[in-house]
Amino acid sequence: MARAIFENVGKKYGKLWALRGFNARFEPGETVSVIGPNGSGKTTMIKCLLGLVHATTGTIHVNGERVGPDPKYRHHVGHMPQISRFPNELKIGQLIDLMDDIRGKEKGRATGPLVHDLGVHAMMDKRLGTLSGGQRQKVSAVLAFRYAPKVLVLDEPTAGLDPLSSEILLAAVRDIKRTGCTVLITSHIMEEVEALADRVAYLQEGALQFLLPPEDLLAATGESRLSKAIPAMLVNPANAHVESL
Amino acid sequence: MWKVYKYTLIDLARNKFVGGWMLLLLAISFGLFQLEDQPVKAMLSLSQVLLALVPLVASVFTIVYMYDAMEFTELLAVQPLRRSKILGGQMLALGTALLLGALLGAGIPLMIFLPTGASLTLLLACVMLTLVFVAIGTLIAIKNREKARGVGLGLVVWFLLVLVYDAVLLWVMFAFSEYPIEPWIVPLAALDPIDLARIMVLLKVDLSAMMGYTGAVYEKFFGNFRGILIALAALLAWVAIPSSVAFRAFRRKDL
Repeated sequence: MARAIFENVGKKYGKLWALRGFNARFEPGETVSVIGPNGSGKTTMIKCLLGLVHATTGTIHVNGERVGPDPKYRHHVGHMPQISRFPNELKIGQLIDLMDDIRGKEKGRATGPLVHDLGVHAMMDKRLGTLSGGQRQKVSAVLAFRYAPKVLVLDEPTAGLDPLSSEILLAAVRDIKRTGCTVLITSHIMEEVEALADRVAYLQEGALQFLLPPEDLLAATGESRLSKAIPAMLVNPANAHVESL
Repeated sequence: MWKVYKYTLIDLARNKFVGGWMLLLLAISFGLFQLEDQPVKAMLSLSQVLLALVPLVASVFTIVYMYDAMEFTELLAVQPLRRSKILGGQMLALGTALLLGALLGAGIPLMIFLPTGASLTLLLACVMLTLVFVAIGTLIAIKNREKARGVGLGLVVWFLLVLVYDAVLLWVMFAFSEYPIEPWIVPLAALDPIDLARIMVLLKVDLSAMMGYTGAVYEKFFGNFRGILIALAALLAWVAIPSSVAFRAFRRKDL
């Protein structure tokens, strides 16, 4: 069973379709890089999956449960936003306690994926308002990986992280996909896309242009790097083959 | 909802603004009771200050907090939690924090210098106004994406209700003084929660001269106790209506 299924999903803001006729199936244990220029619909697609935005058309299923008013499906979802802001006066440990309470997980602040690797265990009593952008990203990463998600959504996950922490995070992505978790990553860093992606979804003006494995993209364009293959794919529409449903 | 309430309240408890609000009210209240010879006069002066300040602080603080918490609200909204529970927890925590600030800041001096039913009624009016303007502030924050616009709208609503509405009502009264408009004044006064709170307090103090036209009409129509109850019921409606609109809007909102 596919972990996430988008069927004809569209989102309209006023007169503008931010996402149009989006169809895709994301399988267990695969990492999909969602890329595209600014305003291409990446964030809207992800927000529809997370239930932050209500799709105008179509349906989304996560692990067999329909995305809608019933929030139960979110037990299967982890999310690391591009910009993380938390209540200033709460401590990191208290934020983790709150999330544990909501998820119904037994308390154990200092346990769980990435807590020690990213050094978050040593900051439990720090106020969230005093954290740097990179430290907030680390907390956000810990929360995203903490509840063994079936679908993990990472929005520009390494933006703001130091190189070592970025490596640790990318290694954690490789580890979690081995458990059958589907990982959706938006990133502008092509090296990350090449290193992680089993498939690349390219969106432009709200529409999916292609959803292909990197090898197929390279083979179809004759290029050796994704950073060149993607523009070549777009220049020559004959290459564009949307492998979706 | 209680989980969100608990941790939002912890965040608010450490917020300097809430502590500052309490200290400001303490200073004003103690100052007025020290300055005036008669505690009743001090209480009436304090009621004028509270009836203007409480709505302003409750609505603006709520609006600013809701905007500042937007990313955190998004984080909560991707957890297995219903949106109504998120908003309910946040609103309750905001209401609790502001109420504690107001009740400690104004309540302690009132209970020391004038421990009467009138003081309790003034505190009840502060409670109701806090809840009303937390609800209005929340609705404004949910309906407007821009913080500056939201805060501006909050200020406009406060200004309309604290000053303009009364002036309009007075103008209506003079303009139509030859007609039997008294029955219309009761529902018209209910359209302004600050008016309602003032009427509640002054009915209890029983100073007709200070009630203003709407207060006098309430007293004439309902008598003191019934008038207070009716004003209280109208204030509860002022909490319920914006709250329910805010919940509905938040459920449908794209975050």
